[in-house]
Amino acid sequence: MKDIFFDLSVRSVRLNFLRSLLASIGIVIGVVAISSMGMLGTNMQLMVKDQLTTGINIITVTPDVVRAEPGSSVSSSNGITDIQLRDIRDAAGVNDVIPIDRTNTQFSIGSSDGRGSIYGLDPEDIRTIMNVSEGTTIRGESDAIVGATIASRFDVKIGTRIKIGEPNISVTRPVVRVAGILTASGLSSSNGINTDNAIIVSDTWYSAQFGEGNVYDQVNVYLKEISTLTDVENAIDKKVNRNKEVVRISDSSSRITSVSSTLSSLTTFILAIGSISLLVAATSIFNVMMMSVSERVQEIGILLSIGTETGEVRRMFLYEAFILGIIGAGIGGIMSVIIGYSVVSAMIGNTTYFFLPESIVYIPAGMIIGMIVCIVSGLYPAWKASNMDPIDALRAE
Amino acid sequence: MNGTPLIRLADVSKVYHLESGDFTALRHISLEISEGEFVALMGPSGSGKSTMMNQLGILDVPTTGIIHIAGKNVASMTNLERTHMRRDVIGYVFQKFYLIPLLSAYENVEYPLILKYKKRDTSGRAASVLKSVGFDEEMSTHRPNQLSGGQQQRVAIARALVNDPKIILCDEPTGNLDRKTGFQIMDILADLHKKGKTVILVTHDPKIAEYAHRTIQLEDGRVVES
Repeated sequence: MKDIFFDLSVRSVRLNFLRSLLASIGIVIGVVAISSMGMLGTNMQLMVKDQLTTGINIITVTPDVVRAEPGSSVSSSNGITDIQLRDIRDAAGVNDVIPIDRTNTQFSIGSSDGRGSIYGLDPEDIRTIMNVSEGTTIRGESDAIVGATIASRFDVKIGTRIKIGEPNISVTRPVVRVAGILTASGLSSSNGINTDNAIIVSDTWYSAQFGEGNVYDQVNVYLKEISTLTDVENAIDKKVNRNKEVVRISDSSSRITSVSSTLSSLTTFILAIGSISLLVAATSIFNVMMMSVSERVQEIGILLSIGTETGEVRRMFLYEAFILGIIGAGIGGIMSVIIGYSVVSAMIGNTTYFFLPESIVYIPAGMIIGMIVCIVSGLYPAWKASNMDPIDALRAE
Repeated sequence: MNGTPLIRLADVSKVYHLESGDFTALRHISLEISEGEFVALMGPSGSGKSTMMNQLGILDVPTTGIIHIAGKNVASMTNLERTHMRRDVIGYVFQKFYLIPLLSAYENVEYPLILKYKKRDTSGRAASVLKSVGFDEEMSTHRPNQLSGGQQQRVAIARALVNDPKIILCDEPTGNLDRKTGFQIMDILADLHKKGKTVILVTHDPKIAEYAHRTIQLEDGRVVES
């Protein structure tokens, strides 16, 4: 760089090194705050989105709410019939279609009672969509597998017997034997069924006990290709809801959209908090620049009187702001990597997403914003310096 | 010395508007200075010497009246044109030297060349001008605060000369120097005059004014002797 005005700015920064450094620390903090907060938010978003998308390829078909016509009675078996199931299978094409029976009832394990969902599924289907962490899947007629939450809360082991149904003195409650325990699924289950708090039994055992025959509470369609979601939903709708709405077709994509938008406004919010620190930094840069101008009034007077153009004086002070920005943004960028990584690993506990472009982009973005803040803060002081009257400036001591 | 004078003031007045009322620093001054003259501007303090220097140095414009410098009307120039006139036509030598503190002696002399040509000097002009005013080459990397008053004034004269201006304006150039050094500086200025420069000098000191060939006496904003 052979521009003498840049040289002058560098020398001025060097001459007031401590003061310049302190002003830059404001920018460092601002850049670090913006980058770390942005990365924190983005990492959180990425992680939650990833967790949510595990169950996104599932279409859930449930019977629509039936509104009774005056005078007629509501059918007691309110579910998806075999005929409707066949239609769904037709519409779903190559995708897996799994009918599910479900009820909510009481059960007893040893001397303790609990309440939870009982699911009845074809043992073949259970093998397709569920993962057993311990034991085996259902093989015998009265085998059951239980969710992770029930298993840990009731201390269920393989072979534990569970009495199913409301306690009734006159009737002996049916008993199932635990053959396996499912892996915990958490918030988002990959199979569209919240199995943590459920007992899963075979469909034949279920119909024998709860006697709903060939009517299902829910039918899940597992898509092989997520992009076909809308097509398959439309096909099912066209085929099953031919005359009137008999089934409700839903998926979790709307849930993801809403959670994502919540998280993204949260990110914006924490970014806004981070920006406050840049505002403070802007003030301190402005202050230092004003000090630099007022300390060098006489020098500015000399420069102007011997024929320096106002634009050149302005440039000199903008360079100075730029240098402060470079120092601040440079240190800030390096510290952002370190601090951002620490914050993400401490608060999210997962740094898989840290180096993804969506996350790491906050570092250059923070640096650029820091530089812009510096230059903008330097605009007025530079303008003030260049518009001085050389005679007055020379006279200043 | 051709027909038109280098500097021509016609009925120039300068009024400062102060809170305490208007203050007239220059009253209806008309005078001419030709190319190659060595003029001393004298007068008691408050007589308008500094105001006069600011007018001659194109740092200010008159309230009324017209100033022509090197054939141009100062009042009708744009700010940028005035800036370029200061850079190219006039060389300034101040009482307090007014070197740029962040630049070395050499860079101070090189600076006007950079202003004019927008690039570093590769012609060796800065160094040769510095040598011509008797400045020790070994000290050219020193900052102004590492130099004595006499050395600083030599650097300041070199800076004033480096763009080969027509006019050298000196505002009490020996005011901050001891007697002996002051005369050395005056010898340099006299030498410049011999080489054809127009030298205008403000001073209190009659001994210094003796170097000039013409004395303009100011009193209360008026020229009393020219």
